[in-house]
Amino acid sequence: MNENVKINVNGTEIQSAPNKLLIEACEDSGIHIPRFCWHKRLDPVGMCRMCLVEIETPRGKMLVPSCTTNITDDMVVDTESDVVKKAQEGVLEFLLINHPLDCPVCDKAGECPLQDQTMSYGPGESRFVEEKRHFEKPIPISEIILLDRERCILCARCTRFSDEISGDPLIEFIQRGNKTEVNTFPNEPFKSYFSGNTVQICPVGALTSTSYRFKARPWDLKSVRSTCSGCPVGCSIELNSSQNKMLRILGVDNDNVNQGWMCDKGRYNFEYLNSDLRLTSPLKKINGEFQKTTIKDIYSDLDEILKNNNNVKFLLGTNITNEEYVSFNEFAKKLTDEEPSFYINDDLLYEGFFEDDIQLAKINDLNEADTVVVWSEDLKENLPVLYLRVRQAVKNGAKLIVFGHSNSTLLDIADYFYTDDVISKNFEIGDSLPMLEGVEKFINDKNVTAIIGKSTPFQADESIKKLVSYLQKYSNLKILNAFSTGNVYGAFHTLSSIKNLSDFSEEVNSDNTDVLFVVGADPIGKSIYSNQIKKNIKDIDNVVCLDLFIHETSELGNYIIPTSSTLGEKEGTFTNIEFRTSRIDKLVPSPGQALSDWEFISGLSNFMKLDNNIDSLEELNIKAYEGLAQQTKPIFDNLDKPSNLDGILNNFEVNISTSENSGTNCDYFVGKKLYGDNVTIRYSHSISLLGAKQFIEANNSTISKLNLNSTKCLLSQDEVEVPVDFIENEKLSDGIIFIPINRRNLNKFDFSKKISITPNHSKAALNVN
Amino acid sequence: MSWEDSLLKQAREIIDMYPQKRSAVGPLLHLAQSKDGYISDDSISVISKLVGITEVQLKSVSTFYSMYKQEPTGKYLLSVCKSISCEINKSDEIIDVVKDFTGLNNNETDKNGLFTFEAVECIGACGGAPAMQVNYETVEGLSPNNTLKLCEWLKKELPEVVVAEEMQEDFGGYKSFDWAISDQSGTTGSVPGFQTLKTTKERN
Repeated sequence: MNENVKINVNGTEIQSAPNKLLIEACEDSGIHIPRFCWHKRLDPVGMCRMCLVEIETPRGKMLVPSCTTNITDDMVVDTESDVVKKAQEGVLEFLLINHPLDCPVCDKAGECPLQDQTMSYGPGESRFVEEKRHFEKPIPISEIILLDRERCILCARCTRFSDEISGDPLIEFIQRGNKTEVNTFPNEPFKSYFSGNTVQICPVGALTSTSYRFKARPWDLKSVRSTCSGCPVGCSIELNSSQNKMLRILGVDNDNVNQGWMCDKGRYNFEYLNSDLRLTSPLKKINGEFQKTTIKDIYSDLDEILKNNNNVKFLLGTNITNEEYVSFNEFAKKLTDEEPSFYINDDLLYEGFFEDDIQLAKINDLNEADTVVVWSEDLKENLPVLYLRVRQAVKNGAKLIVFGHSNSTLLDIADYFYTDDVISKNFEIGDSLPMLEGVEKFINDKNVTAIIGKSTPFQADESIKKLVSYLQKYSNLKILNAFSTGNVYGAFHTLSSIKNLSDFSEEVNSDNTDVLFVVGADPIGKSIYSNQIKKNIKDIDNVVCLDLFIHETSELGNYIIPTSSTLGEKEGTFTNIEFRTSRIDKLVPSPGQALSDWEFISGLSNFMKLDNNIDSLEELNIKAYEGLAQQTKPIFDNLDKPSNLDGILNNFEVNISTSENSGTNCDYFVGKKLYGDNVTIRYSHSISLLGAKQFIEANNSTISKLNLNSTKCLLSQDEVEVPVDFIENEKLSDGIIFIPINRRNLNKFDFSKKISITPNHSKAALNVN
Repeated sequence: MSWEDSLLKQAREIIDMYPQKRSAVGPLLHLAQSKDGYISDDSISVISKLVGITEVQLKSVSTFYSMYKQEPTGKYLLSVCKSISCEINKSDEIIDVVKDFTGLNNNETDKNGLFTFEAVECIGACGGAPAMQVNYETVEGLSPNNTLKLCEWLKKELPEVVVAEEMQEDFGGYKSFDWAISDQSGTTGSVPGFQTLKTTKERN
């Protein structure tokens, strides 16, 4: 059954796996058949007829669309016959009847499949002299996507993507015949977290994004392949720049990881690189004011400080390369004989499941699994492309069991969705797991891939363990630990010990920390421990911040060193959620005197004569992967081999030593939204407003119990007051109130105490901090 | 939700007839049309919530089929057949008469909201060509003269309900065959979801 199928294409015999589409089999053997609507990752539709080829049938030669024809043994195919050529010319002549000849002002020109294929397969001239169809030139179909209906050739790639892949079909064909257009429902914009993908797969310039429109011509672009460090999925991406300005990010089809897709935050959160507010020179706080200084001056100050103080701590963000983590590790080792203290800027960090008796899952294991179990943060908001992969797994036939309350976006496709009767309001799981209806037949002796992580920072570690040990007992379990911040998996294996922000807020409170390095982290603007951390940092005499911007945390620093972004400004490696290490590459120069974190640390080490051999990126890169077999070492030499561009998988030792969270009594479900109020989004103007709205969510009956007569209300606790909108979300269970902590000031509450929710009568309610 | 409870009840009955909610979209759109005379965006929002597909998907379905009206029609929708049998039997003359009488072009509604005129594809009355429909009630074997009389009658009498048999008797000519199949089961019967909507006769 699994034997290869032999087919004859243009007189040459090719072999292919069975059940493949003709167009795909030809493509794999290097025979290109022109197409518009067919896309490897989408279901075929046969809309555009561009891929017509001739095959021999019992009734003679016949034209068939190769994107809807499966290969059969001994099929004889001609992709270049006169009949095929005539058909292709005809199709293109028809497509060009109404397609405007505005290539000189079209963003797609130069990389446009319609333009290219008209050149290669087109008739040369058209017999149509009639007026072309006209539509209003671009209409915004969402805040970030524009649609030019005149250019659309109705291939249905965008509508199929939004239906099949992302599951939010907010664009569709409207009307029919020659009036057909893609559009949204009136006042219902294409609000998708994945809308940028439709721009990338559009075979003409019909869909464009606000961030790239009229910015460059494709032939002027410089490009490099890199890895997105926005979340631990680590999508393979292509960075495009022109005149040293980052202009666009495209998804690269990495079969193991993102399969070409990206979330919109990953795709459009780059404009901050060119922001005027980027830090460009080192700053030193003198009499409470930041003043420009030189790196050398800072080095000599720090030399003095570090020589006289030895309680040094590091609060590290997660947009840091593995090499840089190593540099901090090596640096810290030289400063003190004790175990260095690294705190990662992540509220949800806990010990996870990395013990030897746990089988760790790869992302692709989702496709092999009989059952996928999810109990973690909202995947769609925090690991968006993993959410797409879960959808894909379900489409391929896997059963999906979701434990609440966080992943309500999976409710529609879940076979079982357990909420209030199984999971308490406080995210504790009951004892009755094996008794749950439905669970048994999908779990017992099945191949289960479980995505496991904390749903909310207050969840007790114990309740997650309960689920895992149950699954482990009855099924063949593979676990994908779901942490959701940047290169946190890189930190896991490069730093000698890792603690979380809760530890930071407690430990730093009690001991006398002399020096704190804060690297690319804004816990005050982002963490739920914001208030305590602010107090802690204020108490520390010497705070050194390495950051891109001045924000709530870095403004408390005594020194700020401007740094390069992981997005195209530095080189390094990144480790993703399945411990696949891939390359982060450089495309544009850093602004002003900005340094990579490792360059700063290396320079400081040299100045202090620490003699720790971290003088070059290559040294750090090799140090990061000591102890691995040479073949699978993700060192630059290996990663740059064509066969390793998708990254190299490894088993790493993980060093997390957070203190056990026994659960905090919290009346609210706090979590993150994809777009938040962090600095990089705020300074990326295309998407800056998407994370601005302050709101809370609950279902209708919960809302009505609060006796609010409008959607505007006021959250208040002590002196913190935040006016918010109340949004109805019927997917939440009764009594659950969701508060997005990455919206402005919503992380400033003490969630273990009562927050009062009152109607907001005052129109001029201001944020009081 | 802007639908009355009775309508919602009817909608739920239709949905219950199908194994998948979204399969009920066709009859539900007809239900929406029976309420307003066209498919309003409000109705689409209601149906979207009822069957769990997005509004734009419903918009896509409703704009694809020309018998789902996107705008309110007049009190009388005059659909003159222009397909081949009627065309051979000079449906163009019938069309001219209707156009002249109403002063309307294809797919237009007059200012008073009395008439909407449309030239349509086959209405299944080829044996009695040329034929037309008034509010989907068919009249066959028309002559230009009778067509004019029919239009005048509509304008003068303003009947609340038009019934095919009555119009056929007064204004029709040669009738092909008994096209109103009475067997409501099996392959010749109507689709279950549509049965609940009932015919004009059944409704009145």
